[in-house]
Amino acid sequence: MLTVEHLTMVYPDGTVALKDVSFEVKEGEFLGVIGLSGSGKSTLLRCINRLLEPTEGRILWNDKDITHLPQGELRTVRREIGMVFQQFNLVKRSSVLTNVLSGRLGYTPPSWALANRFSRQDRELAFQALQRVGIPDKAHNRADELSGGQQQRVGIARALMQDPKMILADEPVASLDPVLAHSILGYLEKLNTEDNITVLCSLHYLDLVQRYCERVIGLRNGRIVFEGSKEDIAKMSDERFREIYGEDAIRMGGA
Amino acid sequence: MADSKIAPPVVEAPRRSALHGLLSLIVPGLGQFVAGARTRGLTLLVTVLTLFGLSMWTIAQRARFPEYAVVTGDYLRIVLACAALLVFLLALRHLLTRFVLKDPLAETFSLYGVVLLFFVLVMFVGDDILATVLSAESLSHIHGMTGLYSGAALAALWLWQVGDAARIGGEHLTGKRTPSMGGAIVIACLLVFALGYNLTGVNLPKAIREYQDVGILLPRILWPWRAAFAYDQEVFEVVQKIQAPCPDGATGPGSNPVLANDPWVSATPTCGDLSVRPTTGGLILGTELTITAGNFVPGQEVLIRWANPIGNPFTPRGMGETTLIIDENGGFTTTLNIPDAVVSPETASGDQIHSLIVRQESVRVFGNRLSNEMNLALIGLLETIMIGLMATFFGIVAAFPLSFLAAKNLMSPIMGTPERILGNVLGVLAGGWLGIQVTDFASASLGGLEAAPVQVFLIGMLAVLGLGIAGLQLGGRLSEAALTRLGKDGGYWVSSGVLALLAAYPGYILGLGFSRGIRSIVLGAEVAAINEEWYGALGAVLVAVLVFWYLYGKRHTRRVPVGLMLYGVVRTIFNVVRSVEALIYAIIAAIWVGLGPFAGTLALTLHTIASLAKLYSEAIESIDPGPLEALDAVGANRLQTIVYAVVPQILPPVISFTVYRWDINVRMSTLLGFVGGGGIGFILLQWIRLYQYEAVGIAVWLIAITVAALDYVSSEIRERFV
Repeated sequence: MLTVEHLTMVYPDGTVALKDVSFEVKEGEFLGVIGLSGSGKSTLLRCINRLLEPTEGRILWNDKDITHLPQGELRTVRREIGMVFQQFNLVKRSSVLTNVLSGRLGYTPPSWALANRFSRQDRELAFQALQRVGIPDKAHNRADELSGGQQQRVGIARALMQDPKMILADEPVASLDPVLAHSILGYLEKLNTEDNITVLCSLHYLDLVQRYCERVIGLRNGRIVFEGSKEDIAKMSDERFREIYGEDAIRMGGA
Repeated sequence: MADSKIAPPVVEAPRRSALHGLLSLIVPGLGQFVAGARTRGLTLLVTVLTLFGLSMWTIAQRARFPEYAVVTGDYLRIVLACAALLVFLLALRHLLTRFVLKDPLAETFSLYGVVLLFFVLVMFVGDDILATVLSAESLSHIHGMTGLYSGAALAALWLWQVGDAARIGGEHLTGKRTPSMGGAIVIACLLVFALGYNLTGVNLPKAIREYQDVGILLPRILWPWRAAFAYDQEVFEVVQKIQAPCPDGATGPGSNPVLANDPWVSATPTCGDLSVRPTTGGLILGTELTITAGNFVPGQEVLIRWANPIGNPFTPRGMGETTLIIDENGGFTTTLNIPDAVVSPETASGDQIHSLIVRQESVRVFGNRLSNEMNLALIGLLETIMIGLMATFFGIVAAFPLSFLAAKNLMSPIMGTPERILGNVLGVLAGGWLGIQVTDFASASLGGLEAAPVQVFLIGMLAVLGLGIAGLQLGGRLSEAALTRLGKDGGYWVSSGVLALLAAYPGYILGLGFSRGIRSIVLGAEVAAINEEWYGALGAVLVAVLVFWYLYGKRHTRRVPVGLMLYGVVRTIFNVVRSVEALIYAIIAAIWVGLGPFAGTLALTLHTIASLAKLYSEAIESIDPGPLEALDAVGANRLQTIVYAVVPQILPPVISFTVYRWDINVRMSTLLGFVGGGGIGFILLQWIRLYQYEAVGIAVWLIAITVAALDYVSSEIRERFV
């Protein structure tokens, strides 16, 4: 479904964030990306839907090269790929409903935005999406009135509005406490199994990776240093673990 | 001189270099320069020379007689005298710390203390120093005190940099941190202060002694409210006709009858001779008239006046009483000689009939109405508020869309390929041209600009903007589609070439402008015009080559940061427009559209657009980028991103800035009238010039009340939104 080939990303200041990264994502997979902060997880995810322009390499989406797609066509690819963020990235002053509806913008004619118009169908969809993440009663609240966990659920509902084939989740639970983390990842898992949406999720904690991911890639300093199933992680030796997380890393949690 | 606490040793000889000090004594900064502190040396040289020149120039400008304008010698003498004083103080300190206090670290008296003492001394013995070094003539003609203070500071600065050079030279600078320049900066500031004191004409004696001058007008400005209301007054005026001179046989107009109810005056005789003032001196009184009057208000004053045959009234002096108090019966009796010749008997023909006027004004009574001044001030105030309001409104409408072009975070991601830019440029030009045609057509079918100005203007704006934007989009797509057919590189090079050719036109204009603007200064317009075409051509070639060279440099990435370019241009325009005061625009606008509130509105609008656009764009730049990223990921296009992610975030600051700007605009528009921009300032200036200080007071009070109220309201509104 998604193939990344020899992806290299160099920031304008010369920082090499990704170095020759290649991997493949199969349809319906729940793929985890692990690594320290600064290892290139966020950059990788943002290169996939081209929020960042990779310096070298190719990205194939359903066998189509999207690395140099012009803006107009990129829009049709982006709307098939939902994204969930660590900081939720909601418009805090807008209502929950507007935030969720904005997930539909890839499908609506741009000029409608001037009149702030969404079709009745879209509004219906938005309520359904909120229903699925369990907060239909919050539709008319302002986004910043919600708790962190609720805001992330709005983020997922927004991604759902895109009718996505895949969801990129960039540390979706790093700003939340462990109980909420399980709840949020539970929603992603549900979407993965029930709707067959492919999930590509970067995570910090190995126990969460083991619980939710089928397959894992480990990044360190922009390179892939590990690729394997969750069973491999359980069997992983301390040396191997240090390879990913650095010399000072200590193993924590249920891993 | 400027020893810091960390590096204070003054007495340690090896750490100082006399040679470097000497060099700096001769040429300021040379020692530092030689020792390797190049920038420091040059800075010092420039500073000393600039301050010396500035001081000289200031003193020359303020000389009391023009022939004393050049005072270099005098000034140098002052500087040297001050330097001698300072050197004496420094030597004293050196001896004191070294031999009396035995304090090699020189912590007892810091150099700052010495300099402070120096300036205090200069302040108190300044007159003596001036008297010693200057001739009596110079002393009486130049402004000595400015020379003294700036000279003292310059001397201190000069000596400071000598010490500095000695220390830097002694330490060889390598690997050491350069000593602070704090001392030099403080001294330079003192010098500038001394010059500023002179140039601004600070005159303390005048300020202290002549405060009474405002005592007359201040109460009238501070409490003008009596002038804010109208007062009623009854005026009775009755006339008795008198013939003078009295030719033989004339009887005169006859005495007035006594009236039963209305005020009356009557005189006998009604025909007589004028008083005469012969050229030899003296006065021959004219015929004495006996005047009786009745039915006036008892106890109040009446005035007796005289009007000559052509109707000019005056008060006759020395002919009898002219100010009388009415008795309890409402009348009076008095005598008056016919006043002196007002009409020459030789030139006048026919009967000369004069008027004897008796006038009584009753006490002024509060009239329960506003005075004319108050009415004018209120109308002016309303106009002022409306000018501010309209300028703010037009400002918002124009600034809001423009501010997005001046927001770096929105503009910097916009990249273009030459193919697309070419299409955009051509498209905008075509769209704009089409828009103008549409406007022309609309204007013609509506019956011309005068018949329907607002409609034509709106249609014009919509047509030009709409078609321009449509052309931009369409052109970009068409040209991209067309040029990709030329292959991967073909399109790039063709479009780059055409863009360079297009850029040649502005280049041509630039070259022509250079010839007409800069060459003609030296050569004169006629000579410069002869071969200006060559300069135009040169400009065209230069700009075209530059553009092509730039695009050649981008051939690998093929991404041109058009967004940033546009951002730079728009920002620059805003900054330039904003840096000129609205008052200046008002002067221009008053010439453009005539005196009055429209000129003020126009001027203020221009300034408001630039200011608000800058404030708005800063609000946009400070938004949380997260939602932008999220909406990009969703597949939203730029317009959608702006409407759903930018606007909700900037709304509170935008409302706050707008209200604040409205507040500023009303305040500014009170002054716009001073230069013909309408509003209350217009009438205020007139009153100031007519010395009508009570009316001035009314206007000032009204402005103050409005501004204070507005300030309160605007801060309340802003608090709710932030």
